[in-house]
Amino acid sequence: MTGTAMEAAALGRRFGRNGEWALRDCTFRLPAGSVCAIVGPNGAGKSTLLAHAAGLLRPTEGTLTVLGTTPAEARERFAYVAQDKPLYPQLSIAETLRLGSELNPGRWDRAVAERIVADGDLDPHTRVRTLSGGQRTRVALALAFGKRPELLLLDEPMADLDPLARHQLMGALMAEAAEHGTTVVMSSHVIAELEDACDHLLLIGDGHVRLAGPLDALLAAHVLVTGQDGGLDPHTVVESRTTGRQLTALIRPDGPLDDEWQTTEPTLEELVLAHLRSPGAPVLTLTGEDEDWPETWGAAV
Amino acid sequence: MTAMTTAPAEAPTLRRSLRPRGLVWTMLCLHRAALLFWALLAAVAAGTLLWAWGPGTKGVWTEYRTMRCAFPGENLSCDYTGDAYMALDLATSLGGGIITIVPFLVAAWASGALIARELETGTAELAWTQSVSPTRWLAAKLAVPAALLASGTALLMLLHRLMWPSDRELLRWLSRQWYDDVAFRGNGPVAVAYALLGLAVGVLVGLLVRRSLPALGISLVCLLAVHFALGMLRPYLWPSVTLTKTDQYSISGGMPVDDGAITPLGNRVPNPCGGEGPDCLTQHHIVGFYFDYHPSSHFWPLQLVETGIVLSLAALAVLASFRLLNRHLGDAA
Repeated sequence: MTGTAMEAAALGRRFGRNGEWALRDCTFRLPAGSVCAIVGPNGAGKSTLLAHAAGLLRPTEGTLTVLGTTPAEARERFAYVAQDKPLYPQLSIAETLRLGSELNPGRWDRAVAERIVADGDLDPHTRVRTLSGGQRTRVALALAFGKRPELLLLDEPMADLDPLARHQLMGALMAEAAEHGTTVVMSSHVIAELEDACDHLLLIGDGHVRLAGPLDALLAAHVLVTGQDGGLDPHTVVESRTTGRQLTALIRPDGPLDDEWQTTEPTLEELVLAHLRSPGAPVLTLTGEDEDWPETWGAAV
Repeated sequence: MTAMTTAPAEAPTLRRSLRPRGLVWTMLCLHRAALLFWALLAAVAAGTLLWAWGPGTKGVWTEYRTMRCAFPGENLSCDYTGDAYMALDLATSLGGGIITIVPFLVAAWASGALIARELETGTAELAWTQSVSPTRWLAAKLAVPAALLASGTALLMLLHRLMWPSDRELLRWLSRQWYDDVAFRGNGPVAVAYALLGLAVGVLVGLLVRRSLPALGISLVCLLAVHFALGMLRPYLWPSVTLTKTDQYSISGGMPVDDGAITPLGNRVPNPCGGEGPDCLTQHHIVGFYFDYHPSSHFWPLQLVETGIVLSLAALAVLASFRLLNRHLGDAA
């Protein structure tokens, strides 16, 4: 029923002619209306991917479409908040919001933007340069929401915030997104804060998509098993560790498991960490449409 | 009666439609300090030039007369300069100096504050992810300052021309020539052209270097190079007039281009004799002297050619800026 918010096809980006690939062979599809977390270690390519979606970088190869068209065509319909929350330091908060209304004619929702600022007990006449990290993030989010985006791209939105401000802003963000049906794509390396907020996951490691799909389907496709050391064929083993004769492994079951294994469903953190620790694990991309996973049991990277 | 009832309704509508919007508003709001500085600088220069035109010139004439310089013949008292002379000299230099220095101030500001700082801090990307394409963003960054600069320097140039003494005798006494570098830059459209070139060079260097401080330095060096190169080339931008004579006393009254001696075959050689007697000339087979110069009637052709060159350079820099932005962002620009 829903459309596509973002779709990448073999997207690749290399910095410099003979430089390292920051992104390679990225293929995924994100349905509209979802809240997607892009996770991965530092330098994995999360920011590069978001900058492509915001039309700030040109792909070296492949394509990335946003809201069914190119990022340049969709410029009016998405909002982007970069990692260091760039704002003009010489402007006041009120002037920053005025800038949003001047640069987004016909789209600007003054009430939404002002409410986000007011909820943070910020005086509109405060200069941006005097704001703390959390207040700055709040103003950047107000500017983004004032645009009434269909797609909100957030690069590490909560990175430099204390836990209280993080919790408060995450709540505000989710409430606004839910109210307006905004698709949210945010990168983060704080996995805990994403578990409740997100319904889609895109795990990027070393410039490649490692896991992609609806969060519950991804979790359901994996099993955490413990038992005596034994064969795990024909299942796909993502990561296994042996303590004495005890073996703990995260696997993607392919058929029924033997009874000797104790099984639990992994948490998001366990899923992500296991994949980050074993870069050789096969890629898994699930889509929300087919109720039955998996669409592809990809080949090894 | 209808006019009376509609008038109050029209006034706010008109004000609203004249209110700067979108990128123009953004430019004016973000660079209020620079705008204020430019307004103050232009006001100081305009005030100085107006003073020089009115009270300054009048005072100098009075001084000229009381010092009895106007009488023919030797008059040693005119070798000294009075207070009015000093004041006018200072005002003229200040007014012309501001016009000359504006392009450099513009280049420094444009490369640093206007472009590189935005790229450095990421606020450019903030603007590009509003509903404004980077191409329009760059167009506004060029057009708004260009309009304010062109109108301001054009006004200062006209005031400089107004102030510039039309009387030859006064010019001689002030020992100023129409082809003096500062006077030439202040008296014609090259003033506007150089200000626009400063903006274009600043924007291009800012986009290339992407860091404020290096961009500021590099743009100043680039502009200085153009400034001096064209200053050196100026005498050759229009065909000069040649004067030949048999004695070696040089003439004055124009912009000198070249001078020297002529051999019997008509070749031009450097004058080998300097101030020595006629024996030297015979010894070196010198039959005459030549002097290439620009009479004051060449002022406008020289102005227009130099303006054309400077504006072409500015246009090239603007073109390069857009291409650079395009290459960086692809179709997103």
